[in-house]
Amino acid sequence: MKKYWHLFKVQLINSLAYPGELIGRSLVIFPFMWIFYQLWKVTFAANGSTEINGLTFPMTLWYLMIAETIELSRPRLANTISEAVKDGSIAYTLNKPYNFLLYHFSTSMGETIFRALVNALLGSALVWWLVGAPPSLLGWPLTLLTMLGAWTLNFCLSAFIGLAAFIVEDTSAFQWIYQKMAFILGGLLIPLDFYPEWLQAIAKALPFASMTYGPARLFVSPTIPAFLSTLAMQAIWILVLAILLTITYRRNISHLALNGG
Amino acid sequence: MTAISVSNLQKTFQTKRKAAGLGGSVRALFQPEYATVEAVRGLSFEMEQGELLGFIGPNGAGKSTTIKILTGILHPNGGQASVLGFTPWKERQKLAFQIGTVFGQRPQLWYHLPAIDTFTLFGKIYELDDAFTKKRIAFLTEAFEIGDLLETPVRKLSLGQRMRCEVAASLLHKPKLLLLDEPSIGLDVVAKQHIRDAIRTMSAEEGVGVLLTSHDASDLEALCHRVIIVNHGQIVYQDKVSNLKRKFLTRKLVEVRYAEEVAKNFALEGMETLKTGRYGVKLTFDTRQTPADAVLSRLSSAGTLVDITISDPPLEEVIAMIYEQAREEK
Repeated sequence: MKKYWHLFKVQLINSLAYPGELIGRSLVIFPFMWIFYQLWKVTFAANGSTEINGLTFPMTLWYLMIAETIELSRPRLANTISEAVKDGSIAYTLNKPYNFLLYHFSTSMGETIFRALVNALLGSALVWWLVGAPPSLLGWPLTLLTMLGAWTLNFCLSAFIGLAAFIVEDTSAFQWIYQKMAFILGGLLIPLDFYPEWLQAIAKALPFASMTYGPARLFVSPTIPAFLSTLAMQAIWILVLAILLTITYRRNISHLALNGG
Repeated sequence: MTAISVSNLQKTFQTKRKAAGLGGSVRALFQPEYATVEAVRGLSFEMEQGELLGFIGPNGAGKSTTIKILTGILHPNGGQASVLGFTPWKERQKLAFQIGTVFGQRPQLWYHLPAIDTFTLFGKIYELDDAFTKKRIAFLTEAFEIGDLLETPVRKLSLGQRMRCEVAASLLHKPKLLLLDEPSIGLDVVAKQHIRDAIRTMSAEEGVGVLLTSHDASDLEALCHRVIIVNHGQIVYQDKVSNLKRKFLTRKLVEVRYAEEVAKNFALEGMETLKTGRYGVKLTFDTRQTPADAVLSRLSSAGTLVDITISDPPLEEVIAMIYEQAREEK
């Protein structure tokens, strides 16, 4: 296990190679949050109430900030794997004495941390200035922990798509679908609370909700039961997906055809 | 002891075929046509522990595919292979502890980090203890003369410098076998020399076997004991490098310079004139037909010799000849 910890650390350092790029990319959270601010200000005003389905205007913005942070900082793992298959550099990740999936897990986590940190800092600064302080201090630690679960979940799903690259090479279509599912069923643009009941029920049962909605909702109304149920939901999905992932990996590896050289 | 044993190895790839242009692309969408490419066709060979074996062939001959099967990355469609007692595609991770690999066209060092960071990381990955890693890095730093490169981000190194670091990294865990896929690709003469010297030293000192693919015959001459020439996924020739030379390097090039002017239509029996200058002549002869002794005496009888150079044709030409023969035999 020590080697995976070290891989994580090295990727963490590696992600600081271009600090300008790191910050530059995170700046995109400013226009996003600004648009959300305008959009939801109008919506809340039109609705005429301070609260919609349990969320106030400031809560909605803080929710969206966390959801955006998770989305913007999640590593494009499917892309990484499919590029490696396309250009043949996967040869190196496959001939070292480590587990291919755990290798990618460690490095993708290492890639995420600083990006998430910068995103959250910039996003919080803006949202704080726009709508005031976050609802509760307890939100920070609880959300942080569930974010780890969210990224693990994202890892499983992206790796799943990435493994398809062993056979189809290019996975951009699957990545596109995945991202849109995460947008809609994960509650990235609209908190799931605003959906009709039946759609909420479906969305909350799917893994996408545990990725964005879960941690973001926890941030604005942090309670221990909500925390535990989010964690439990994440754990179930991670377990299911990890098993599927391992099976798919074993099956697909023999189909791999390497390009180049 | 046998390090690698391969018998009747086969690997085919399915590639999509598509006619040119948009129409072709649309048709391929509905009725994909597949072409089967036989990259490796019944390859069999053995390699001894500690041997320096060269795998030579033109682009697309199946060299890299073979190496990738031997490291366990690709699954073959048929045949057997055993590398250090492991079946590579079944015991990839166990095998990985025992072998080092370099793919000349792809970097394994982390691009943005100094090489020393990757070295330390590899130490962890190969489960070496820290003291050993440290000692080993010091040793390799000396052998590959990379002391002043270790702390520069890899992206800032020249290709030659990077390759030295790449090969050094692949030796960190003291592998028994080194698989080098085109290690000298794109390198200049000096950089090639550097890498070869270091590899030769490592092989002599630690007994590490080296299987090297290249399309550059000079790698062979400088490094290998034995050569396997492949083309179209099959072995067309295998022998010791010295035998290869003895058998095929029977044609010699001679350049002579005389004290006086030579005739325009300079010609001697048993030799072919390639070029005639005012004072000098360039000739070629085959030692099987005309012994060198006879050539020298004929040349000296033609005038006062000032200078003479006798050389072998480059190994490239010899290998081209072998390809040619293999094609004719088919």
